[in-house]
Amino acid sequence: MMRMKHKHLITFGSVMIVAWALGTFLFAYFWPHFVYNHFKKAILDQGFGSGPVPINTLYVEPQAVFADPLHTVLPPGSSNLLTVGVNHDTLLVGGCLDLSTGPQVLDVPGFSGRYYSVQFSDPFDVVFAYVGTRTTGTQAGKYIITGPDWKGAVPPGMRRISSPSNSVLVLGRVLVYGDNDLSTAHDLAQQIEIMPLRTGQAGP
Amino acid sequence: MTSFRLGREGKVVIGLGARLRSLLPRRTIVSDVVQGIIVGGVLAFITFHALAFAYATKENGWTTMSGCAEPSTGILLRGACNYVFEGPINAPQEAAYWTTSTDGAGQELTGAHDYTLHFPPHGLPPNNAFWSLTMGNTRNQFVANPINRYSVSDRSGLVPNADGSVDIFIQHTAPAGHESNWLPAPTGAFKLWLRVYLPGQSILNGKYRVPPVVEVR
Repeated sequence: MMRMKHKHLITFGSVMIVAWALGTFLFAYFWPHFVYNHFKKAILDQGFGSGPVPINTLYVEPQAVFADPLHTVLPPGSSNLLTVGVNHDTLLVGGCLDLSTGPQVLDVPGFSGRYYSVQFSDPFDVVFAYVGTRTTGTQAGKYIITGPDWKGAVPPGMRRISSPSNSVLVLGRVLVYGDNDLSTAHDLAQQIEIMPLRTGQAGP
Repeated sequence: MTSFRLGREGKVVIGLGARLRSLLPRRTIVSDVVQGIIVGGVLAFITFHALAFAYATKENGWTTMSGCAEPSTGILLRGACNYVFEGPINAPQEAAYWTTSTDGAGQELTGAHDYTLHFPPHGLPPNNAFWSLTMGNTRNQFVANPINRYSVSDRSGLVPNADGSVDIFIQHTAPAGHESNWLPAPTGAFKLWLRVYLPGQSILNGKYRVPPVVEVR
């Protein structure tokens, strides 16, 4: 009887220890992926007030949400994920890219020294590129975002951003100097655009 | 020591097993494996949670995390950053974040008390973009207030003291004579967020210390 108990204990114990060690690693490894999918789902399936955000397009936080975050009621079914962090500094821009059908082009306006950033994350939340004040400066520019299998020539005048995956999460932030600057900042944020690469397209 | 612990755990497990035997038809290899996976999985989540918060550093009540969102960030730290911040966050060169729900003495922040945050002369967070101190309730939402002010920052017209230091008054009712430096608090518990975008060298090398939130008595 005792021997039977030990046999069960050894099976249970060894499985538990393996599950514990492996599980800890798997949680750490996959947690960023859960978060990524959570954002992707919020963007593509729910949207942030004006319906789902189509793939390869960018959502821009409306002025009303920034100006009056407490009294703006989002329609039912929309996600509050992008505006849930208490942030009264930057207008948020967000979208998902699918590069399996070809590269996408990021077009940014001139920001005249204003702080902005566009952050590119892969499905495991590795930030593989930034466009913005710190990394590329505040002048206008076009960037070609290519998937891992793309072979082609980078159009003249464009800079290349190589994505390790065909699935990309894009998060943008544009600094708002104050209430009377909100519409200027919002205009700029709306000019951060994603579009498919057209044949023969070149940079500015 | 190890064998002693194993022995104790063994007793507990056998004891549990005895109780479960009345509920379960019979212990089999399959039930051992299933139970092992379930218990191991729960322990794994607890371990991951503890590890994630072990990566966070705490000073003067403020919690921060460094080294997130870099290509060189290891698997554990990347998991930890995503777990603690519940979303994609910036690389350290892009932005630094601190958060606290306690004052410098470790007491929970609440609108029942008045607080100040005192930045010494030249002590505001060094940056090449902006900094801000934002108020959130315990559910991480903005807090309603009579002047519609949700944060104070480099853009909010803070008035420095005569010596160049800056005091921020964090309280539920307006501080008489210091309205310009008022960050309105709710009546109940709250949480503060300090953001510094394009942080300066002393933040990147870990030398900058955010001053504690101090209760005014």
